[in-house]
Order: sequence, then C-alpha cells, then structure tokens
Amino acid sequence: MASEAASIAQGEWHPAGSSRSVPCRLVEDGGRLVVRDDARAELAGGSLSLVEISARVGRIPRRITFPDGSLFETGENDAVDRFLARKGRGRQGIVHWLEQFHPRLIAFVAATILLGVLVYRVALPALVELAVAVTPPIVPQIMSASTLETMDRTVLGPSKLDETIRSQILEGFRRIAAHSQGGEAAYTLNFREGGPVGPNAFALPDGTLILTDELVELAGGDTEMIVGVLAHEIGHVEHEHSLRQIYRAAGIAGLIMLFAGDIGSGAEDVLVQGSGLLALSYSRAAEAEADRHSVALMMRAGFDPTAIARFFELLETKLHDSSDTSIFSTHPGTPERRKAILDLVAAERRD
Amino acid sequence: MVLVEPLPAQSVGQGSFGRAAEGNVQRLSFTGSAGEYFGIWIVNILLTIITLGIYSAWAKVRRNRYFYGNTVLLGRGFEYHARGGQILIGRLIVFAYLVLYNVMLTFVPFVGIVLGVALLFLVPWLLTRGLRFSARVTSYRNVRFDFVGRAGGAFLAFIVGPVLAAITLGILAPLASRWTHRYIGSNLRYGGKSFSTNPSVGAIYRTWGISAAVIVLGLLIVGFIAFLNLAIVMTAVENPDLLPPEMQVSLGLLAALAYVLILAIFGTAALVYRAGVRNVAWSATTFDGKHRLLSDLSRPRYAWIAVSNFAVTLVTLGLMRPWAAVRMARYINEHTGVRFEASVGEIFSAIAQEGSAVGAEFMDMEGFDFGF
Repeated sequence: MASEAASIAQGEWHPAGSSRSVPCRLVEDGGRLVVRDDARAELAGGSLSLVEISARVGRIPRRITFPDGSLFETGENDAVDRFLARKGRGRQGIVHWLEQFHPRLIAFVAATILLGVLVYRVALPALVELAVAVTPPIVPQIMSASTLETMDRTVLGPSKLDETIRSQILEGFRRIAAHSQGGEAAYTLNFREGGPVGPNAFALPDGTLILTDELVELAGGDTEMIVGVLAHEIGHVEHEHSLRQIYRAAGIAGLIMLFAGDIGSGAEDVLVQGSGLLALSYSRAAEAEADRHSVALMMRAGFDPTAIARFFELLETKLHDSSDTSIFSTHPGTPERRKAILDLVAAERRD
Repeated sequence: MVLVEPLPAQSVGQGSFGRAAEGNVQRLSFTGSAGEYFGIWIVNILLTIITLGIYSAWAKVRRNRYFYGNTVLLGRGFEYHARGGQILIGRLIVFAYLVLYNVMLTFVPFVGIVLGVALLFLVPWLLTRGLRFSARVTSYRNVRFDFVGRAGGAFLAFIVGPVLAAITLGILAPLASRWTHRYIGSNLRYGGKSFSTNPSVGAIYRTWGISAAVIVLGLLIVGFIAFLNLAIVMTAVENPDLLPPEMQVSLGLLAALAYVLILAIFGTAALVYRAGVRNVAWSATTFDGKHRLLSDLSRPRYAWIAVSNFAVTLVTLGLMRPWAAVRMARYINEHTGVRFEASVGEIFSAIAQEGSAVGAEFMDMEGFDFGF
C-alpha cells in the first residue's frame, strides 16, 4: 500500500443485505473511502462522490453506504463531521447544527410562535381571499343549485303563501336588490314551506334566496321587516361568506395535518376542537357584517333601516331568544345584535 | 475476514431487569433525550412553517430517524430509510385526492359521494401500500423489514372491524382488535423470515372488561351528579329566564365539567384498552416460529403517562411535547422485548436480506401512515 491511509472512525461493517457484522475502521486512502478490518484487509471502498453518508440526526449512528451495497455504521458522529468539513461538505450538517440544544433555540421558539400567529392572522386570510378571487362563478352556481335541490328533496316544501303577500314581499325585495352591488338580476327569491327549518331565511352563494312561510307568518304583515332580513341575506352573498368559510375550514384542517406527527394525537384533537370554536367566532363576525349590510342597503333603498332590529325584538318576545353571545354560538346574541343595529342607525343619521 | 461478530451487547441484555427466569429475554431500550429531541422538534416546526409545509416530509424523516435510531435492541438501533422526496410525493397524491373529494362533495354532491365510496375501497389498498412502505424503509442490523399483506385483509381489519365495533357499541371491539393485529403481525417479514400473531379473543375480552367497567362506573358517577342537580337542570330547560344569572353561569360551568369528565372517562378507558391489547397481541407474536415477542405494559401506568403527558403538553402550550414523546417512547420500549430461543449471535449471522424484498420499485405512496 503506497498511499498514506488516514483513519476516520471506528465502527461496524455489514455485507450488502446481511445482518452479519464486522468490527472495522473507516479510512481515507488516496481519495477513496475504505473500510478495513483488524487484519487491514479492505472490506469495501469507493470514491467519496459514490459513497452515501447519512445526514446527522442527534446521536444516532451514522450510516455510510458503499456502491456495492455494503454498510458501515459508526457512533463517532463528530469524527465523520470533521472529515466532511475537511472535504468542504460541512454545510450538509447545517440542519443538525440548528437542532443542537443551545440558547438560540429560545429564538427559534419565539420565531415559531410569531410565524404561527402570522400564518393564522395574515397568510390564512390572504390565501382564503386569493382562493375566493380565483373561484370561477360557475362554482357557486353549481354549489347552490345542488344545495337547493337537496333541501327541496329533504326538508323544504312548496310555499302556501297568499299571492298578494308574496307580491308585496317581492316588490320590496326588488327595490333593495336594485341597490345592491350585483343589481336586481343577481338575486332570485324563492318561497318555500320551512318544515323542520321553521321561520328562516337563507342565501345560497350564487344569489338564490330562500324565505320560509313560517318567517312571513312570524312577521305578521310587517313586510318591511322581512325585506330587512332579506337585505341581511344579500349581505352574506355580497361578502361571499360561505365560500370564505369553506376555504378557511379547509386551510385550518390542512395546517393541523401538516404538524400531525410533531404535536401528538391528544394535542391534535384539542386543536381540531379549538379551530371549531374559532370558526364559530368567524361565523359571528360574518353575521354582524351582514347586519351592517342590511342597514346600509335599507337606507339606500329608502326603507326604515331599523326594520331588522324589529325582527330581533320579535325573536326575543315570541321565541324567548334572549341568549347572550357565548363562544359556543354561531350567531351573536339577539339583544346584542339589535342594540348594535340601533347604534349604527343612530350614528348614520347623525352624520 | 471475521464475519461472525462477538455481539458484546448480548451479555449486557441477558438476565438484566432481574428477570433471569424468563430465559434469554432481550428488552428494548430508548436512548434518546428530551433536550436533544427538543432541538429537532422545534427546527422541524419552524422549517415547516417557513417552507409553507414542504419541509414537513423531511421533518418526518428526521423525527422517525431519531426515534427509530434510539430504539435499541441488543445494543443496536433500528433505522428509518425513507427520503423526504418520497414522502412529499405520497403526501401530494393523497392531498390532491382529498381536495378533489371535498370540492366534489361541496359542489357536486353526487360525484362526491361516488368518490367517497371509491375511497372506501381505495383506503384498504392505500393502507397496505403505506404499511409496506413503512416496513421496507425500516431496518435492523442492515436487514430490512417487509410487509406482504393484501388489500382484502386490510378491508377486514380496518373497515369491517371498526364498523362492526361501532355498530355494536364497542361490544365486538376485541374481535376487530384481533383482526387488526393478526393482519399486521402475520404479514410482517424480517430478512425473509416471518412474524406470526394469533392473540386469543378471550384475553382481549379480559382487558376490554376493565375498560367497560371504567366507562360504566364513570357514567354512573356523572349520572349521579346530574341527578343531584336535576331540579336546576329541569328549570333551565323549561324556563331559562327564571334562573338568576349567577345560576346560569354555574350551570354552564357544570356542563363544561361534565363534558371534560366524559372525555376523561372514555379517554382513560381507551388508553387502558390500548395497553392491554398491545400486551396480548405482542405476547402472542412469534418470529421465525420460535422467538417470542413480549410486552408487559402496566395499564394504569401507561394511562397515567399518556394523560399526564397530555396535560403537561397543554399547560406548557406544546413546549413540553418533546419531553412527553421521549418519556412515552422510553416507557413503551422498556416494556417490550424478545425471548430468543437460541444464541443471538447465531440467529443474526444467519439472517440476510431476501433479494427481492427491497427493489427499486418503492411505491412512493405514503401519507396514510396512521402510525401502527
């Protein structure tokens, strides 16, 4: 052996695919990495570029795989790192360097928390906005058509409303729809019997509105109040609340899945439940936004903007709904919403 | 060349833990530390956020390499060989399907339902691919594991079993557990030699009985507390306005307490059951027809570690998660072992890879790894 062999590390060598092992030494010999046993016989060897050296993770043994498939294993991680550094491959250990238990990890913890908050507060809403912006109009149309069909088949029945009441409501509805961003053509109103849904009005994302007979009955001839409720529903459509909610839920689920292995299954469950509560808070904010929209639209159309507040009053007296907002509710508490609307109208009138 | 190693570790493990009567029992150990794992863990999370999730695949590799590498039997650790790229591709495929499925379910429910039913049949196949992948990227002493289960068995073990357990309110859960463990345990291979598992249903029912008792007893206590407060609850249901506000608050607290209590009861019962089934299934597993595996987790101790880990993780806002993970791994490993029926040195010098076990044809399908 002509060339000088520099010893790198002690370890054990396995022939390809075998669990037999041989105590041996890893040496550098004329630009080649070579494994030699105690008798200095060469067991395996290859040039550095053909040999695969596993990345360092903690103190677990390093794997060095030779072109013939045989494997050298050593616990002398530092020695292997020094060798790699001499060969100009020290940068391969950068992740391990970051991971070492060191005061800088405190900065990493802070950065992680900060970035986590930023992702939740900034990146997630931005992605939701982007997704809403690139969603083609056909998507909410298909979505709405299939939802209406499903509801018609399962819970809703044909409306039994009097023709005159119906045309009164339709007239008021056309007036506010004409003042909305999309204009009159963007909205269609459907009358249905609510059945298990009860007194209700809801909007599908393509501008289809559904009003139940039970709500009309509850209103007791106050058409303006019904129009106020419909203006609220138009608000949901204009702010694209349902699409946003879907994208948000998908985004949060995706985030939790990404960290599934790192946070443990118990913590994962808590996060899923917690994100459910946060989704409710988002839904409460959407209701408040739609309420404000109703006030603005009613004013523009020349109706009494407090009409929807009368509706909440009705809910309180007739349905005994005086519940407070809690973190478990989808809507803000009814008295709270009524007060918010009256305050807003008062402020608008002062200006 | 000396090809039969002296195996210094053999003498270390033998007769340790004061269990000489068990014969040549070799226990696993866990050599990782919470401090070391903390660094790996926080860097994993940080880089995953910075790279918008892409690093999560490499994060998984580093996490698994750390836990496998520190799982030590006879002085040698296990190895995890998966590459970040493979895992990323698998995740992208699964993610694309889930997006398609959810989009369809929202917008075209009919097509969504069809995709959902297809998923039901695709899942067993995906699970077998995932199990095979996980086995093939795991090695011990330079010899890889393999998994030879087929989709039919996975359908029975992972779809029929859980459904049956659910519709019988858990009464047939032991049967489902048996199918799952038999499917995994009997299709696992190491160096061309097979594992075989046949846990007895009776033994699983004994551990199930304890869990059922925990649930019944717990629910009786909750029911008794609810009964004591029945008058208040009834007033609240019939006439919420009559209750003074401070009463409403305490009622809310009571409801929250009941919720947590019921979660705790079912959680504890599930943990006790999981530990018991693991003991039964592992101890009913043999390798190469003669070497027996063994698991002797203490059910209360296991449940306590899991519950206290969870509480500590929550209270420290996740920062003690690495400590909790290492603590659990250490406990489980120390209560897992193999009883070798011959000289360990001879056994391992005879084991070699089956040529075809690790081909280049890895299906890069992962992501459905439920952590078996």
